[in-house]
Amino acid sequence: MLIEIIDVIISGLINGSVYALMAVGLTLIYGVSKAFNFAYGSFYSMGGYIAFLLFGASFINNYLVVFCLAVPILLVFGFFIEKFLVAPLRKRDDWEIKVMMITLGLALFLDNSYQVVFGARMKSLPSILEGSFELGEFILSYQDVGIFILSIGGILIFRWFLNNTRTGMSVRAVAQNPAGAQIVGIPKDFVFAATFAISTVMVGMGGILLAQKYFITPTGGWDILVKAWVITAFGGMGSIKGSLYAAFIVGMLEAFVGWYFGMTWTLIALFAVLLTTLAIRPQGLMGKWG
Amino acid sequence: MEHKRIAILLAVIWGIVAILPLFFGSTNFIMHILIMCLIWSVVASCWDLIMGFAGIFSFGQVAFFVIGSYSSAIVSARFGVAPIFSVFIAGGITAILGILVGLPCLKLKGAYIALVTFAVHMILEPVLKGDIGKALGTGGSRGILTINPMNIFGYTFSSSEPVPYFYLMLFVAVLCSAIIFLVIKSHWGTAFLALKDAEDFATCLGVSAFKYKLMVFALTSFLTGMIGGFYAHYVGMLSTRMLGIDLFVTLMVILVIGGVGKFPGAIIGAFITIALNEMLSPIGSYRPIILGALVVILVLVLPDGIVGLFEKIFPKKTTKKKYEVTH
Amino acid sequence: MIKVQDLNAFYDDFHVLKNVSLEVGKGQVVVMLGPNGHGKSTVLKSICGLVDKVSGIISYNLENITGKGSEKLVNQGITYIAENRELFPEMSVLENLKLGAYSMSARPHEKKNLEKVFSLFPRLADRQTQLASTMSGGEARMLAIARGLMSNAKFLAIDEPSLGLQPNLRDEVARIIKEINSQGITILVVEQNIPQITELADKIYVLEEGSISFEGSKEEALGNDHLKEIFLGM
Repeated sequence: MLIEIIDVIISGLINGSVYALMAVGLTLIYGVSKAFNFAYGSFYSMGGYIAFLLFGASFINNYLVVFCLAVPILLVFGFFIEKFLVAPLRKRDDWEIKVMMITLGLALFLDNSYQVVFGARMKSLPSILEGSFELGEFILSYQDVGIFILSIGGILIFRWFLNNTRTGMSVRAVAQNPAGAQIVGIPKDFVFAATFAISTVMVGMGGILLAQKYFITPTGGWDILVKAWVITAFGGMGSIKGSLYAAFIVGMLEAFVGWYFGMTWTLIALFAVLLTTLAIRPQGLMGKWG
Repeated sequence: MEHKRIAILLAVIWGIVAILPLFFGSTNFIMHILIMCLIWSVVASCWDLIMGFAGIFSFGQVAFFVIGSYSSAIVSARFGVAPIFSVFIAGGITAILGILVGLPCLKLKGAYIALVTFAVHMILEPVLKGDIGKALGTGGSRGILTINPMNIFGYTFSSSEPVPYFYLMLFVAVLCSAIIFLVIKSHWGTAFLALKDAEDFATCLGVSAFKYKLMVFALTSFLTGMIGGFYAHYVGMLSTRMLGIDLFVTLMVILVIGGVGKFPGAIIGAFITIALNEMLSPIGSYRPIILGALVVILVLVLPDGIVGLFEKIFPKKTTKKKYEVTH
Repeated sequence: MIKVQDLNAFYDDFHVLKNVSLEVGKGQVVVMLGPNGHGKSTVLKSICGLVDKVSGIISYNLENITGKGSEKLVNQGITYIAENRELFPEMSVLENLKLGAYSMSARPHEKKNLEKVFSLFPRLADRQTQLASTMSGGEARMLAIARGLMSNAKFLAIDEPSLGLQPNLRDEVARIIKEINSQGITILVVEQNIPQITELADKIYVLEEGSISFEGSKEEALGNDHLKEIFLGM
């Protein structure tokens, strides 16, 4: 029993850490540009498929190489998606809804392209670290440790980037005060595209990390989109700190509900918690109005 | 668009649709597609009323449709209610659920409303498939395989003879579009325009955003649930596959093609999209790819849809009203 | 330095500025007066590339800059200081200042400008780590001006620096504007609550209903009883 509970906690922590990485990306786009990306889940699958393809190439057999190649691919992809699909809509009054529509179309396009290219069958990735740490009945696989460290590392790098680089500061500036950012001469269009690109990298990395445990499927991203969405709304849209807390709460909740009641209840439990939170605090845990 | 234009356009559309069976009446396959067009034109028009006019980013439209279809099927099977009444009961059930969803969520901001309503969509599948659904009679993941066909005063509509059902659906669709037209024309419609332009200002004038939003939410939920019932009794079987993203996007394509907030564009969009979907079906798995690409391209090149294009070609005679802003 | 000819500006369909022409010479302090809501801010914003719909000609050192975005103009030395400050609330004073030096041309001078700004505003130097949102109105106003100076600007458009300021800080603002100007920065300022600033003016414009209704030296303005009474409060 005790061992089981510890297992559940560990699983909650690990999923929570990857959720945090992905939810921070989603909340970042919303916070900076108020755009909502429906294709976020498809970018998650894209990360997994890119890694799958890279591992398919015979000369690549380790994750370091995969990350080094996947990050620039995702970065460039995200940047151009924003530049060519989202940015042209920004001038319109009803651009919010138009962005939702266009990203939804993009999601359908991508998901079904995966299906055609890779087939509907699940794909798996090799484990990032082999072996496990055992203490009596208690088993901790090194894979889980690796995933946890990488996603926390990703978040820390992102934090460093936001606080210490000029581009990172300009991203925060646009999020906090777009008019002020324009006054000091920050090119907003570039910041929007850069933010979109960064968030694409974050969710794509999440895809690579989680695909080791849960496989890659063409439509697997929807589950992730909804979870990332719930987390950002729960934590307060646009609040990075809120998303971090919410991600771990959701990871834990999911692990415990799944363990105690069965996996089918996890989604229902998540929404119950979300709706209760929103009923009490419509702006989420740490969100602000406006 | 001004009201007179909408009315004329509606009359033209329904006039053309009404004579279609003269040409295709003997081809069941085409009649079947036309019935689907009518059903989706209602669902899409309702969505347009919520999203385009009321400015509520609701993503629960397909969910309400599915709720309506399951409700009608279950009510008619369990309690022996005639389908013609059960569709209205289904509309009522959907409206109540719509209000229940609307109460907490219509006070939220745009993206949050999208989230909560989409959450209803996502949560529906595990509910219908799970123990709760089975207890209600949804048949779990198998779905409902036999549903009573529509029956009015002893006359049974069968799917092997689609023309009578086509006219029944046409009647329902005309009625629904008339209701939507009246809503747009009434002071509700004016209130929504005011709310969309300047919510704070309208609220100051005593336009209660929440009240109007809830009313329109309930109305569209009712119509959507009801048409869902008609759908269930027509196709005769239901499964949670309807909740897949495919149908959701199809509905969105309808709005994109027709033009958001450009009623009756949604009706035109429905006919084009459903027909296009059928034409593309021989290419199998490439169809959704093309559909997705189409959404992306259309949003970029034709952001106001066909009706928007129409308005651009035939501009209104009255010039745009100027706003007096003081800074 | 700045020459504006027949400037028209619009917000949506609303015609805010109608054929505004003005000129600011190098090293001058030019003051613009006029009732609220008649477009003074819009003039400043148009010059600084912050208004989308403008027509006419705005030239800067004989170069036509009409329609250029703020990210280019800040780089060329044209900076706007907003009446409502537009600071970054969740950032520290130091971060706000560093972002003021965002443009390419300001980056090499960041250190030097930071020292300059801290000597002008010693209070900001003491509060480098404080969040902008927790500052008092007066301090935030100082920070907004300081942030504008960080851009290494040659031309500053300052919008109502007295807005939300306690009366005793008005002298301070006037002193700072004088100081900035003495360092060779050209200034166009919208301000009518601080007579000391009017004192500094090389030229005065009055903007009413989107058009220039008066142009002249401060002596001429002071000689005009109507202006004196309404706008200068003397």
